[in-house]
Formats: sequence, C-alpha cells, structure tokens
Amino acid sequence: MIVRLLRQPQFLIGFLFIASLILLSFIYPSLMDVQKESKFLYDENEVIVGVAPFSPKDMPPFGTDMNGKHLLYLVLEGAKYTILITLVIAFLRIFFALFFSLFHRKSKSTFFDDIVQATLYIPTAILAYMFMVPLFVKDATEPMGMMTLIMLQCLILVGIGVPPLVSTFSEEIRSILAKDYIVSTFSLGSKKPYVYYKHVLPELSSKLLLLFAQQAIQTLILLAHLGVLAVFIGGSKTVMMGDIFNLTPATISLSGEWAGIIGQSYQKLLTAPWIILVPLSFFAFTIFSINLMIQGIQNSLKSNKS
Amino acid sequence: MNFSFTSYLKRLRSILIGVLIISFLPSIFFGIAPLQSMKLWEYTIENRKYSLFPDIFDKFFYSMTIFFTALLLGLLVALLLTFLATLLPRPLKRAVYGFLTLLESLPDLFIVIALQVSAVYIFKKTGLLIANVSGVYDNRIYFFPILTLSVLPTIQLFKITFLLMKEEQNKPYITVARAMGLGNLYITLNHVFRNIMTSLFQYSKTIFVFMLSNLFILEYVFNLNGIMTIMLNTQGVSFIITVLFIAIPFSFLFEVMESYRGGINVQKEDAA
Repeated sequence: MIVRLLRQPQFLIGFLFIASLILLSFIYPSLMDVQKESKFLYDENEVIVGVAPFSPKDMPPFGTDMNGKHLLYLVLEGAKYTILITLVIAFLRIFFALFFSLFHRKSKSTFFDDIVQATLYIPTAILAYMFMVPLFVKDATEPMGMMTLIMLQCLILVGIGVPPLVSTFSEEIRSILAKDYIVSTFSLGSKKPYVYYKHVLPELSSKLLLLFAQQAIQTLILLAHLGVLAVFIGGSKTVMMGDIFNLTPATISLSGEWAGIIGQSYQKLLTAPWIILVPLSFFAFTIFSINLMIQGIQNSLKSNKS
Repeated sequence: MNFSFTSYLKRLRSILIGVLIISFLPSIFFGIAPLQSMKLWEYTIENRKYSLFPDIFDKFFYSMTIFFTALLLGLLVALLLTFLATLLPRPLKRAVYGFLTLLESLPDLFIVIALQVSAVYIFKKTGLLIANVSGVYDNRIYFFPILTLSVLPTIQLFKITFLLMKEEQNKPYITVARAMGLGNLYITLNHVFRNIMTSLFQYSKTIFVFMLSNLFILEYVFNLNGIMTIMLNTQGVSFIITVLFIAIPFSFLFEVMESYRGGINVQKEDAA
C-alpha cells in the first residue's frame, strides 16, 4: 500500500510539502541565525524612517507583524503546532468514531443521529465557539495549566467531529456486514470480534485514510475560523499595546499557531493585510497539499481495483 | 414526487432533540449557569442587549436573500463556465481541472478577506469604490457579500459539472446523436445539460450545508447583521429558536429533495 502510494506523484508532492514544513519548523533555529525582529527601519544615516508593521515590500519575504516580528519566522514556528494539532485531532476523531460506531450499531438509541441532524444547520465554528467560551470563563476564574487547556480544547474539537463520522461509519459497517461472504462467515460459526477484526476493518482501512485526510482539512478550516473569532488554542492573554498616548488592549495568542497569528492582528486587517494573508495562504497551501494527497490515494485505489 | 409530511415531522423532532442536547451540553460540562438577569428572548453583543423578536424575521430574510442570490449566481456562472470549458481542447481541460483543485483548496476565510482587502486596495489606488465592503448598523449591503459568497459554490459546482460532463460524454446516446449528425453545440445544450442538472441535484445538500458555514464567516468578516451573528451570540432558549429558524425551512428543502431523488431512483429501477 505504502509503496504504491509513493509511486503517485501527487501524493508525494503533498506529503513532501507538509513533511518539510514540519521539519523546517523544528530545525530552523539551528539553520538560520538572522535577526527575527526589526521594530524600526533606519536609513544610511541611522535615522529612523519607519516603524513596524512593515509590508513584504520593505521586509522581504513576508514582512513583519505589529511588533516587528518577521512573519516568516512566526509562520515557521507555528507550523509544527498547527499541523501536529490538526493531525492529532483528525486521528482522534477517526479513532473515537470507529470505537463508538462498533457499539452504536447494536443500540437502538438515536442519540448520534439526532445530533448529526441538528449540526447540519449550525456552522462548526459556532459549535466550537459555544463550547470554548465557557472553557475560557472557567479558565479565568480558576486557572488551569496551559497543557490542560490545550488538551480540553483538543477534546472539544475532537468531540465536535465525532457524531457525523459515527453515522458515516455505522452506515459503512452495515453495508459491509450485509455482504454475502460475511453472512456465510457467520453461518460457518465465526465469532463477531473475529469478523470485525478480520473482515470489516480491512475493508474500511482504505476509506479510513481518505476520511483522515478530509478530517484534517476540516480541522484546519475550523482552526482558521476560530482564530478570527479570537478563540486561540492554548489560551490568550490581554496586554496593553501601543504608545503611552494611545493604549489599547490587545489579545495575544500564547501558542504560536497560525490561527493565533491571524486572530491577534485581525483588527488591523485593513492597515496591514499581509499579517493575515500570509498565515492564511499557508493554511491554503497545507490544505492544497492534503488535497493532492487525497487525489493520490484515490488514484492508487482505482489502479488497485482495475 | 412522494413527499411525506410525517417523515418531515420525524426529521424535525430529531433536529429539535439534537439542538436541545447541544445547547445544554456546554453548561453541563463546565457547570456555568446562563446569566440569570437575562430574559429568555434577549441576547447581548458587546454588552448591549437586543431583543430576539421581531428583529429576527428581518435579519433572517436579509441573510436568506444573500444566501439564495449567491447560490443562483454561483449556479449560473458555474454552468456558463462548464459550457465554455467543454469547448476547450483536451490538454487545456486537464489544466482547468488542476486549477480548480487549487482553487477549491482555498479556505473560505481566505477568499472573503482577500476580496475585501482587494476592494479596499482598489479604492485607495484609484478612488473607485466598487461597492461597500462593510456593513454599518442600519446600512445594508448586498452586492459585495453576494459576490463573495458565490465564489466558492461556483468553484465547487463548476468542478462537479465538469466531471459529470466528462462522464456523460462517453455515454452511448451521445455517440448516437453524433452519428445522427447533430452538432456538438446542440448535443451539449439540449441533451448533456439536462442530464447533468438531475445529477447535480444530488450534491445540493452538501453545497447547502457548506454555504451555511460560509455565510457565517462572511457575516462576521463583513460585519453584517444577519441570522448567523445572532446564532453566535445567543445561548439557551434563544439559541434554539435561532437554529430552528434556519433548520425548519432548510430541512423542508432537504426533505423535498430527497423525496424527489427517491422518485428518480424508483423510476430508474422500473426501467431496469
């Protein structure tokens, strides 16, 4: 399976992009030792000619944010958190959904179906927001550690994605169990766990990979939306920004993930649009490479069948 | 057409139970009671209280105007583009498909923000204000939100119709029509398009749900006062009411679509 996937150029390109992004994010401090901040711009006579934020024209390649931090480094720094959190959430969603759907099929309760029916009409960002806001309120009154907060937030993001997946999976499993060879396996006397392990899971496995990739895309989009809503993974803190005459409170994301970069500068959209567009385009490229991987997987599945 | 009212009611009951569970889960998890001082029909945006009724009707219709106009616009443009794309030579078609995959990967947020920024940029450079890019309290804007909301459905619909078209082109009836000496244009317009429209119907639910999510981020970024803004800021009972405002008409649409599709399938089985 893996060898066949590696032969698909589309899969390879997508995979290499994401892998190199994560790798760069981990090793860039030892590779590049250049200044990461430039708050003021001087001309040749050491006279200040500009103050942050600088546009990509002044400070290639991506410009700086409001505090003069170079966006290139911010984005690289955030890549590992963003992508790894996304992958973990997507994996957990699939895992729990599979786990629940094995039991769900037997029980008569329509709990998941009801929730799925209702979530069709509520955008996922609103759903996540509803759960996140009480969490922040609670964090403000009785502070928990950053790790606990991140774990709880990830749990929320996982929980939101599980019900729709459960209903997809239980339908899928139902259709597999209705196949002739499964019926004959049962009548030959095999136990249920054996059938699930030996027949149902292998049939699902090719679908699982596809669903995993799709969930990763959905999680990325959800993270971006939450960033705009000023809900940050890892919490935020409010600091006073600006000079002494013009103090304005600003929320700052504590972990460096991309959605946080978007959210903390969102109010400056019209004065410095590149601060938002750069991380957003990284979101877009990551999603594009996942889409390429999906296409590669589909191609290899097709060639497998024929 | 075998639309049954009871199955619609069943679906509504299911939605109602689901919304009830969802709206009370946060307070169960985190043990925070909703604010006692608030009346049931009130919600707050930035510390200011608003009453849910009768504003919600107005806002609902505003949002739905944007939604459906954008959908229609998207559908029309997508069909037009597909039609143009079929006239292209073969290698260019592959390029179009690849380009569409790239466009499809753009997050909705990216498109909304990029369009807004570019409109402002054009205004700064040339002094030409294409259209208002942000809503102020009573001033309702239509042109720009509709344009923005229609971009992603256009891309998706274009991709779907493009694929369907490719599938359709290899079917025997096209070959027969060619053999009869009918023109390429005539076949595409009169036969292929009609068949595609019925297949396109199957994807409508996915596109509707996807567009609702887009509508939310659009309203937030453009600062429109629509139904999604209310949904974001309400809790408890008023949240349930807001969701039902969207759920009741849309679930009706879905139910009609599904019964219609069921009708098509039955017809196909009869024919087979």
